Amino acid sequence: MLLALAAGIAASALAVLVAQQPSAPATAAGAAANWTPTRTPDGQPDIQGTWTNYTSTPFEVPDKSDTPDVYAGDLDGTGRGTGPSSFLTDTSGRQLTKARSLVVDPPSGRVPIMPWAEERRNYKLAHIQDDWVNFTPWERCITRGVPGGIFPAGYGSGYQILQGPGYVAIVYEMIHEARIIPVDGRPHLGASFRLWNGDSRGRWDGNTLVVDITRYNDKGSVATNVATQRVRSIPQSEALHVVERFTRVDENTINYDVAIEDPKVFTAPWKVAMPLHREPDYQLFEYACHEGNRAVPNTLSGGRARDRAARAAGSR
Amino acid sequence: MPNWLKGGLIALVSIAGTLAIVQMMRSPVEGRAPDVNVLRTADGKPDLNGIWQAVGSANWNLLDHQARSGPVLELGAVLAVPAGLSVVEGNEIPYQPWAAAKQKENYENWLSRDPEVKCYLPGVPRATYMPYPFQILQTGSNDILVAYEYASASRVIRMGKAEPPPVDTWMGQSVGRWEGDTLVVDVTGLNDQTWFDRSGNFHSEAVHVVERFTPVSPGVLDYQVTIEDPKVFTRPWKIQMPLYRRQDKGVQLLEFKCVEFVEELLYGGLRKKTGQEQPFSTARLRWP
Repeated sequence: MLLALAAGIAASALAVLVAQQPSAPATAAGAAANWTPTRTPDGQPDIQGTWTNYTSTPFEVPDKSDTPDVYAGDLDGTGRGTGPSSFLTDTSGRQLTKARSLVVDPPSGRVPIMPWAEERRNYKLAHIQDDWVNFTPWERCITRGVPGGIFPAGYGSGYQILQGPGYVAIVYEMIHEARIIPVDGRPHLGASFRLWNGDSRGRWDGNTLVVDITRYNDKGSVATNVATQRVRSIPQSEALHVVERFTRVDENTINYDVAIEDPKVFTAPWKVAMPLHREPDYQLFEYACHEGNRAVPNTLSGGRARDRAARAAGSR
Repeated sequence: MPNWLKGGLIALVSIAGTLAIVQMMRSPVEGRAPDVNVLRTADGKPDLNGIWQAVGSANWNLLDHQARSGPVLELGAVLAVPAGLSVVEGNEIPYQPWAAAKQKENYENWLSRDPEVKCYLPGVPRATYMPYPFQILQTGSNDILVAYEYASASRVIRMGKAEPPPVDTWMGQSVGRWEGDTLVVDVTGLNDQTWFDRSGNFHSEAVHVVERFTPVSPGVLDYQVTIEDPKVFTRPWKIQMPLYRRQDKGVQLLEFKCVEFVEELLYGGLRKKTGQEQPFSTARLRWP
């Protein structure tokens, strides 16, 4: 524990140091410019394998106005947040990205969130003891969302990419998501579909897999875990539109770039860029999240106990 | 090039071409006639890619069962139990006496005990014959993905050898191999939480499942399962059913994220009352 704490502090310090450096693109340094991936039997660039996304780069560039306690749902100052603290999560120093933040656009490294959405987030995080809908979809074990599912969670960070004729599949270790992306040119689902993860349609642009995602519901969130700080639990609207780009730049690196626009939630489109690292020895474990979900019922039950205590104090 | 050489070359090329075609058509099992009903991948393996679904009511009950009313009076014929023929060889699951009693108790307490009611991961083989499609994605590499629409469940079948599973899980560990045109999947490391159907048929964590997927035509897989569990059964027993290729236009797996559908059931009593709740009407439940 102490060791982890020390490592965490060291990593945080390093993150601060890195933050002093001028912004650099989050692409893997030294990637061979002319490296070309092999092809799958049906001719797709081969991006298969087991990948992880450990990083100590903060999601956003830190700012004086930040209120980490609020983002962790710790409004009463008791230190009770939800999810792993960002500085205690499973990270690997050798996989640091050299960037001030994972948010690369706008150049400030700050997500242009509308004030109503921040208020909504604050309300939900402060009221998780009232109703399960105030938790993020991750804590409810529904989904970490798209693209949220690829943002670093701190643990359960394995992704297996498989490719078959006409499809790319991404198996997410966290909440056992198997996301199947058709790359056969078919159109999006009808507009009446409103999905937690939206509807993904991929195409190959040279060696880059470009995935267009639409048909979202308005119940999810672009980001669900504490490591995403201020953006965690910011609501998504049905107008959310996401474009992901997966480019394998060398044997061991996929550059993941994602453009996010939701005119009802953000004042401008914004982008995240981060690498995925090939880790052939990493084994994905089953994350039976809902089956073992004690956080939601225990939190709610704690809330009802508080209510009873408040009533008892009031009637005294 | 002289004409005689050209002619010879053409003849050679056409002989080679014919041989190649014959080779491609040949089933990997030596001495068997090539089966033109089996789609094949570039490396000659049966091509199982596609979206598949079991038809029938095995998920209600693996054994012979008559139709009967459902558990909610107000639902009438909706959610009534359809009749079905046994998918179990000999129409008998060879329970040890204590386990037969437990299955009966499970059946009587179906709604409170069936993991499906709570949207829990289904385990194997139940995932295969639930009333939802699943997709097989066969890669050019060593892994085959099976993704189920129900509860976003999935498993990756690793071809070849694998270390024993380090812990028991809901979906277990799947290790595959080809026997002729049959994909044989050895499933171990299953926990004792999953059921076989809505009739309380169950197993322990000692269960060992061997599945056999054999293409019989481009649209049909023969699905056979051998189930062994010395803690619960007196001998191994077998399931067999066809799996059908979904051929609906534009078919794809859709979201069936059922956690959202069971939160009220699981946590409803713990929600803070606001006075604004839409009340549930009282349904009349009766089971069995």
